[in-house]
Amino acid sequence: MLFEPFTDVVPSFWGWLNQGPLTLTIFLHTVIILPMFWIYFQEKKRLGKK
Amino acid sequence: MENGQSVWTSIRFWRRSAAWVTGFASALLILLTFDTMGQIKMGTDEDLQKGITKRVPAPTVINHHIDYKYSKKRGHEVPVIGDKEPFFGKEWSPKEARALLHKGKLTVQAKNCINCHTILGNGAYYAPDLTKSWLDPKWKQLMAMTNSKTKEEAMAKFLQHPEKYPTHARRMPNLKITPEEAQAVVAFLKHLSTIDTNGFPRGFSKGVKEFEAGGTYAH
Repeated sequence: MLFEPFTDVVPSFWGWLNQGPLTLTIFLHTVIILPMFWIYFQEKKRLGKK
Repeated sequence: MENGQSVWTSIRFWRRSAAWVTGFASALLILLTFDTMGQIKMGTDEDLQKGITKRVPAPTVINHHIDYKYSKKRGHEVPVIGDKEPFFGKEWSPKEARALLHKGKLTVQAKNCINCHTILGNGAYYAPDLTKSWLDPKWKQLMAMTNSKTKEEAMAKFLQHPEKYPTHARRMPNLKITPEEAQAVVAFLKHLSTIDTNGFPRGFSKGVKEFEAGGTYAH
């Protein structure tokens, strides 16, 4: 299941995020990969100006 | 690109990407460390009295009956802290209980229990896992063997003279544990069983059921 009810003893944002393996994967890919597109296009622009 | 230089061959691009990924991962690990520290912080005696569930309950939890029940919501067994019951014939104050658990921990470390046993995932599997050992129904047998009225008494007697009570194919050696140390180790093991370990060790109750049904009891 992609989203499962939060069943941890101590409620926490990170606990919630780690409930299923897929939620963590999606989160990490979003926050790590997306800024890399930005870095890529910035570098492309910089090289184009040279 | 007009000048023929690709982003993929640009050292600056790879350097920036590596810095971003490493930096983000470091920040995430630091955040997770603090989150874990909050989760494993020991509860207080007040929490126990108010019925607030903590992953690691206060040392005074040794004054309570401990049960281990399957939680349908969580999909595994969770420790259930029940009514008060005397531990070695008395109720231990928060200070006394803390000192007792500390002595138990030091004894467990000094006698190197994890050289054969496992505690919270650390140690060996030559001897039974000690994480939930307090809840082991085998102590009922030991109560009869050691002529004890309570489980804690039987455990303390066994710990002092394990060679006298063969219960396992692999025999535990006599580690010259004193009566005080044995009492402290039993308290440590009782507290250990109350820690919410997300169902670790897996299948503990299955073994218990098999044992109670007269089957084999392999940890």
